Amino acid sequence: MKTLTPKQLFISFSKIGMSGFGGVLPWARRTLVERDKILTSEEFSAILGICQIVPGPNIMNLAVCVGSRFGGARGAVAATLGLSLGPIAIVLCLALLYEHYSYLESVKGLLRGISAVGVGLIASTGFKMLRDEFRYPAMLLVVVLTIIAATVFHLGLGYVVLLVSPVAIFIARKKAQAL
Amino acid sequence: MSILLSLFLKLSAFSLVAFGGVNALLPVLFNLAVNQEHWIDVQTFSDYFAIAQAAPGPNFMTVTLIGWHIHGVLGALLATFAIAWPSSILIYFLQRFIMGIKNPMTKQMIQYSAAALAIGLVLSSAWEIALQINHSLAAYVLTICTIAITVFTRWHPLYLIAIGGALGILGFI
Repeated sequence: MKTLTPKQLFISFSKIGMSGFGGVLPWARRTLVERDKILTSEEFSAILGICQIVPGPNIMNLAVCVGSRFGGARGAVAATLGLSLGPIAIVLCLALLYEHYSYLESVKGLLRGISAVGVGLIASTGFKMLRDEFRYPAMLLVVVLTIIAATVFHLGLGYVVLLVSPVAIFIARKKAQAL
Repeated sequence: MSILLSLFLKLSAFSLVAFGGVNALLPVLFNLAVNQEHWIDVQTFSDYFAIAQAAPGPNFMTVTLIGWHIHGVLGALLATFAIAWPSSILIYFLQRFIMGIKNPMTKQMIQYSAAALAIGLVLSSAWEIALQINHSLAAYVLTICTIAITVFTRWHPLYLIAIGGALGILGFI
């Protein structure tokens, strides 16, 4: 199998991190599959599938998976550093600007507008994924249970996961058998 | 020093339950940083959230900014590291195991259950965060329009962020 040096992984993932406006995942596909040709489209989808079922920042998980696959533990470290260092530097520069200018009404308004859009973007990732669940409506019960546990009963995230996952696994088993 | 330790330990624990990624974590993060530890106030949280959305890069930048607020660059790096290391180590060892599952049924079962859990957590998160950061009817309308446009069209999110920012500067939100 192909191997990549930590430096190559660092550079590829830097490109992904720095270009990812409004979500990094589409850029990850573009860079890894189309531009750098590190993975085939099928390999990318398979790896992404795994990264999305494990907790934690999805894109970071992707960096660990791809990095370790082509460069072992050192590759994983290089990929995650590449992914995060550039964006961290930029966001900290923005934070410095924010410290100086946050008293301005226009800056306050700007951020209010962006955060209202931002929360909508997060909700829409949820809604887009929700569309797939209508293929097997019983699974919606898991979604509803999770929402009730989290928003009505305000259970901590860990408890929500512990409480809902047995139901989720039970129904997912049926779904896997049915489809 | 103890504040850094507390930041590190709590974010590390969150990392392992963050199904659906950092977006699902936001309410917990809000609760920790604003209500429990009083590291930042509601306004700062929502501003950091906005900056993280507008900046390029992964969506865990809200965490980075909270760390920065607590202890400068060191806090920022520590917070980012804390949110990522437990799940990274988990997936490092788990990926071969999951890839190696021969029975496609088992694989699908894991995938389906995690997906449903993630959807529930992300939607609850969006709801709770909206309650905290939207202070006007116009803000909710903007949020709902964003959802409608992203779900039904293929507009790039950056346009929506730009439109939202412009509406905000003009004083509509």
